[in-house]
Amino acid sequence: MGTIVEVRGLVKRFGELAAVDDVSFAIEQGEIFGLLGPNGAGKTTTISMVSCLIDPTAGSITVDGNEVATAPGAVKSTLGVVPQEIALYPTLSAQENLAFWGQMYGLSGGALKSAVAEALELAGLADRAKERVEKYSGGMKRRINIAAGILHKPKVLLMDEPTVGIDPQSRNHILETVKQLNAAGMTVLYTSHYMEEVEYLCDRIAIMDHGKIIASGTLNELRDVVGGMDVVDVKVTEVTDCVLDRVREIEGVKQADRTDGAIQVLTPSSGSVLGKLVATLESEGAHVTSITVTEPNLESVFLHLTGKSLRD
Amino acid sequence: MSPLFTIAAKDTKIMVRDRAALLVMLAMPLGLIFILGSALGNIGEGDSLDTKVAIVNLDEGDTGARFVEGLTSSEDIDAVFNISVREDAEAVRTEVERGDLTAALIVPADLTEKVLADEPVALEVLQDPGSQMSAGIWAGVVRAGVANASAQIIAAHTLQETFAGGAAQGAPSGTVGSPPSAQQIPELAFDAVTVREVEVEIEKQVSMISYYAAAMSGMFLLFGGMFGAFSFVRERREQTLARMMSTPSGKVTIVGGKALGVLLIGALQFIVLYLGTRLLFQVDWGTNVLGVVLVGFAETIAAAGLAMTLAALGRSERAIGGIAPAFIMLFAALGGSMIPAEQLPEWLLPAQVLSPVYWTVDAFLDLMRGATLAAVAPNIAAVLAIGLVLFWFGVWRLRYE
Ligand SMILES: Nc1ncnc2c1ncn2[C@@H]1O[C@H](COP(=O)(O)OP(=O)(O)O)[C@@H](O)[C@H]1O
Ligand SMILES: [Mg+2]
Repeated sequence: MGTIVEVRGLVKRFGELAAVDDVSFAIEQGEIFGLLGPNGAGKTTTISMVSCLIDPTAGSITVDGNEVATAPGAVKSTLGVVPQEIALYPTLSAQENLAFWGQMYGLSGGALKSAVAEALELAGLADRAKERVEKYSGGMKRRINIAAGILHKPKVLLMDEPTVGIDPQSRNHILETVKQLNAAGMTVLYTSHYMEEVEYLCDRIAIMDHGKIIASGTLNELRDVVGGMDVVDVKVTEVTDCVLDRVREIEGVKQADRTDGAIQVLTPSSGSVLGKLVATLESEGAHVTSITVTEPNLESVFLHLTGKSLRD
Repeated sequence: MSPLFTIAAKDTKIMVRDRAALLVMLAMPLGLIFILGSALGNIGEGDSLDTKVAIVNLDEGDTGARFVEGLTSSEDIDAVFNISVREDAEAVRTEVERGDLTAALIVPADLTEKVLADEPVALEVLQDPGSQMSAGIWAGVVRAGVANASAQIIAAHTLQETFAGGAAQGAPSGTVGSPPSAQQIPELAFDAVTVREVEVEIEKQVSMISYYAAAMSGMFLLFGGMFGAFSFVRERREQTLARMMSTPSGKVTIVGGKALGVLLIGALQFIVLYLGTRLLFQVDWGTNVLGVVLVGFAETIAAAGLAMTLAALGRSERAIGGIAPAFIMLFAALGGSMIPAEQLPEWLLPAQVLSPVYWTVDAFLDLMRGATLAAVAPNIAAVLAIGLVLFWFGVWRLRYE
């Protein structure tokens, strides 16, 4: 198993803004590679450069031995792309949409027919294939959006936030689909700002913020960034800067950050900290509604590295 | 199927399902053709009392002048006819052909000479004997004038009528080898003058509904350009354009496919308008079907060009929805879709050449009147030229993101 996608020193500037700022990573054949980062991190811009949609300001990209800069045609046929937006024709049926995108990848006749049928099956929408896409729910649209990217059985599938804004059931369906495609041999580049998805799916992960990759590795390697510490999530009625400062002064607290409606505390020894933590919060007038102690996850890694929550 | 056709076929399918578009592309023109066409009768038809006729006196002697004087000074004649005395026989002939004049009298150059020599000579009355009643009256008036001019009228005087059947162009204006019938009586000099009625093939009159069929088709074919531009910016906004560009097809293929889609949609639209106006309103598009098809096709190419220009100028469907109808209305007004092109103010006429609608409507009307393909070829060339300019400008300025 060799490297199938290699990105070196990739830069994209929009005027002053470096949307992608010296990004390098390599994706091994057969793996699911996750690109995790908050909105505006530069994930879509990176994927757009890999799929030959926008030209990099600097750097190089190789896909299956072909340079994006010199052989975009070959790169495009190797790739399947699932864009962040639902890029489908609302007044065409799912079947018509899929047939169109299949033809755009050079499929025709019987091969097209069976590819469309297979993709509809994979999306779990074979029974509603003749309905217009505009009548579908958000989740169903997402599933067809993915199906349209895999008709030609690409070696590498680029998926840009494929689960944004959908119900949990559709999300699970999509995550299972990704696993299934990967099990069948497809290499996947998966971007998301949901750390649970990336944790669940990906063999290796790169965390991106402000156009830069700030950490990368397997899930366990990334957890080590937080270095064997416990993560204490304290839900309180109100989080003020003053409260946060007081918490940081507690002995044994390595780091304290604000997440939505809660404070996340990193500590090597949660047992000795919990009591002091609750006492401090109560004395500051912040009512504690729940406390959970967990292993570090990608959220805490991101928090640790950037001091902010992924969902901000 | 090449991606070019895949894209065009997809756009056509989407268009056919777009009710608002169908309304604008088909229902509106058919409705307008019906309303405008049936409200206003026929253009240039109707015999008024004041029938326009012309006299051209080519006689080198003075007999002709006296004869003309006799006709123009009569109050009875003046009450019925609006007579103009003209110099250019060819121009008058053309005006009769066009229907601008009901009839005309051409006095030959050798009238005096022949009368003095007592040789047969014919006065030529140009008219459309088939349709225009007043033209027949005019011939009668001329005949009566000839009769009056004779000093003595012979009861058995017979008018010779020669019909140069179908001689629309280059009809003979000199002598005709018709044997003199009442002749060789030296004293009755004018008796040798006959009145020869020449049947002029008057160009087919285009009915009002046919006129608007041509005018509205020429205009509404351009709306295909507006919807083509809508489709492009919608694909840009909804990211299907980006998705297409992530497939192995290049920009040229994608833009070509979008343009081809406008052509395909325009062709379907024109088929519906052509057949619809024929079957519903009995519009007579003339016998030159190939010519009509080529003119319509040229106009859809102009529509495809317009689509690219509009897509380049407008960022959103809203912006395009604002500028496109203005563009098309301007083209249409210049082209005679609202009022006949000849009735526009003088100073506007030079701008007509920039309007594809002008060339298209003009060609449709000519074909309805029986013009040949060669006669409308310049119109087709002009429409194509405008279409290509719009296309290249659009492609040059087009934004893909
Ligand atoms: N075409 C563009 N022009 C200017 N700025 C852009 C453009 N595309 C993206 N950006 C900016 O680049 C940054 C990265 O955007 P993006 O790649 O979409 O992030 P992500 O996909 O991670 O949410 C953002 O700040 C965004 O506003
Ligand atoms: Mg994005």
